[in-house]
Amino acid sequence: MSELVRTYGRGLTALFVGLIVAWIVGLILVPQIRMIERAFIYEDRGGETAMLALEIDRLYTEKFKLEQRLKAGEGSGGGSGLPSPSLTPSPTPAPSLTPSPGLTPSPGLTPSPGGAGGGLSAAERVGAEARIGELNAQIAELEAQEDTSSGEAGMKESYSLDNFTTMSAVHVEIFVMTLLYALCVTVLCFLICYPVAYAAATMQSEEKLTLLMVGLVIPYAINELLRIFSWVMILEKQGILNWLFDALGIISMDAGEGFRFVASNGAVFTVMIYAYVLFMVFPIYNTIDTLDKNQIEAARDLGASVWKIHTRVVIPHAKPGIAVGSIMTFMLSAGSIAAPEIVGRGLHPDWFSQLIYRRFFEADSWNQGSAYSVALLVACVAFILVNMAIFKVGIRDIAK
Amino acid sequence: MHGQDVALKGVSMTYPNGFTAVHDTDLDIHAGEFFSILGPSGCGKTTILRMISGFIDPTRGRVAIGGQEMNGIGPNRRPTALIFQNLALFPLMTVWENVAFGLEARGVGKAARRKRADELLELVALTGQGDKKPTELSGGQRQRVAVARALAVEPAVLLLDEPLSALDLKLRQHMRAELKAIQCKTGVTFIYITHDQGEALTMSDRVAVMNLGRIEQVGPAADIYNAPATPFVATFVGEQNVLRGRVVGRENGYACLETPLGRLFGVDNRGLSDGTDAMIFVRPERMRIANGTGDPANRIEAEVERRDLEGPFVNLFVRAGSHSLALHLTNSGTAGQEFTGIQTVGFDHGDAVVMPTGELARE
Ligand SMILES: Nc1ncnc2c1ncn2[C@@H]1O[C@H](COP(=O)(O)OP(=O)(O)OP(=O)(O)O)[C@@H](O)[C@H]1O
Ligand SMILES: [Mg+2]
Repeated sequence: MSELVRTYGRGLTALFVGLIVAWIVGLILVPQIRMIERAFIYEDRGGETAMLALEIDRLYTEKFKLEQRLKAGEGSGGGSGLPSPSLTPSPTPAPSLTPSPGLTPSPGLTPSPGGAGGGLSAAERVGAEARIGELNAQIAELEAQEDTSSGEAGMKESYSLDNFTTMSAVHVEIFVMTLLYALCVTVLCFLICYPVAYAAATMQSEEKLTLLMVGLVIPYAINELLRIFSWVMILEKQGILNWLFDALGIISMDAGEGFRFVASNGAVFTVMIYAYVLFMVFPIYNTIDTLDKNQIEAARDLGASVWKIHTRVVIPHAKPGIAVGSIMTFMLSAGSIAAPEIVGRGLHPDWFSQLIYRRFFEADSWNQGSAYSVALLVACVAFILVNMAIFKVGIRDIAK
Repeated sequence: MHGQDVALKGVSMTYPNGFTAVHDTDLDIHAGEFFSILGPSGCGKTTILRMISGFIDPTRGRVAIGGQEMNGIGPNRRPTALIFQNLALFPLMTVWENVAFGLEARGVGKAARRKRADELLELVALTGQGDKKPTELSGGQRQRVAVARALAVEPAVLLLDEPLSALDLKLRQHMRAELKAIQCKTGVTFIYITHDQGEALTMSDRVAVMNLGRIEQVGPAADIYNAPATPFVATFVGEQNVLRGRVVGRENGYACLETPLGRLFGVDNRGLSDGTDAMIFVRPERMRIANGTGDPANRIEAEVERRDLEGPFVNLFVRAGSHSLALHLTNSGTAGQEFTGIQTVGFDHGDAVVMPTGELARE
């Protein structure tokens, strides 16, 4: 800290620290805490309180409508004579506001459908006002019954684990399967990336290395959605892969043959691996790159097989990179929504992230959505911890 | 453990970039010998070592170990073990695991490995250090771990690539003695690479001096020092006074050279014909000051420029014409204070070597 002050001066340091604090509090802590809080708040949507809230809502709506009509009446009929051509003339144009006793308002007055304009007869006006008074009384009565401690929406809210425990069996299954799939993607990614990273890190010729790196990086300059769509192009029934098979004479597309690659687990896995390999390759590449290549030669010289060289020398050294790569790939694929949505086409079993999305925006149940998100978050954190335990690496190693 | 001989026959190594690091080299290293390869940086020492250990195959010629053709056989299947310049210990393994790695690679059980590792650690005087990590050891200790690790696979030939260059002088001298002792105890052929001539001369049975991808001379340390075969060897190993001249005749088997400092005689092993451009080399310790009794046969008048006392020796630098000459004199109690002004310096015919003009080692 004092070092920072010395390097950048008091003002700049204060700015840095301020920005960092604002970032951590504003963009990480507060939203997360709110999210977690919501996750533990259960909204009772079918219970008595909910019914009560609905009734109060209904009354408010009625009152509001009446008030609107009254206001409209003042604006045109009883108004200051401003021309309002769009309005149909009221039956009694007389500006008199004295109530006429013959026209007692019916107590059950409901807003006349359409209202036929804003103008009201004096009698109607009186009736409406009376009705408003009645409604006010009812609302007050119901609101008195309502539990004042409950939340905004009028639904009974309480801290509980219900958002988690009421997860349906289907959702639990999706949750577990998603984690398993993400694990599969991670393992497959590792199997693909390790040899690539090793080859790149031990490459002698600079040019080959540049080529490899460019080949890996350029696809990532392209938008993720485009990358995924390009796979759809390949895997579609009318896609490139089937076309290739057709060209090779394995299938005949004219006859309507063709494999449906999309919407299969394999397709989703392939696309995800493609989407996330880089996050695995680079950490591993970076760690292997720091390995003294003489150690590999020494192991070889001492008679070690290729397997032994990797299991005893290279992989132990690359552990932090593998851990970081696995964590990133796992988190990304567990939370991925675009790939399963676009490639899965709804035919592939849902990914948990899709479920969360639907909770939020289709079921409009933000609290349950939050609960699901928190569940995913906890699973991911658990994965990180397990991962670190397996690889016996600390935060410090990973930071390197 | 038994040493095996190593033979290089017409070996050349051209790297993929077209650079030839070793030219048409023949070398015979005897079984159980301590053999050093000495040469300046970049002369191809490591390249030769890597061809023997099997990391690279020569582009031309053959490598044989124990009479067995080795071309195309990988380093893991050769009876050699290499000690790297930076040692290349495995930092994540303990010392004993490092030592036993070769056995682990051969599928030896853990108990047997541990036992053997402890024996080897005892051999290199590291008893009881097996459970430490290499980083917890000193430079010299790490050095010995590397030796033990290499010996664990019972190699017939141990290849050492400047293994002591990272150590300080004291430790280096100590380790020289230890390496030599280990070599005697095990009987393994040691091929030792160094650019430190002191190291090569003190430890080796025989030394090869390399320059620019060629071996200039092979022989016992005494021959290398006393009877260098080329101007490069003469000047690379030890110090020399060098004078250029032309052969003008011979007398009693010694060649006579016409030099800017007069006619000088020296040993000529090749029988140079008159008129040949040649060089005469004299070691500073062979130079003497004429004092009236037993004067040197070759004499030069020179002026004393500088006198450095080095305890047992006095280094005297004299100037004759445009040439500067060095003399190492023993300190006979006066620290050479009597040598001032113009002195007659010189050497005997048998103490100088005459060779055709050639490339000298850079200072
Ligand atoms: N892989 C390679 N590709 C091309 N040239 C190389 C390669 N390795 C070494 N060289 C060249 O070959 C020559 C000899 O290299 P080598 O490593 O054998 O030298 P060295 O005698 O061991 O030197 P040092 O004492 O500095 O270790 C050097 O000029 C070097 O530049
Ligand atoms: Mg070298």
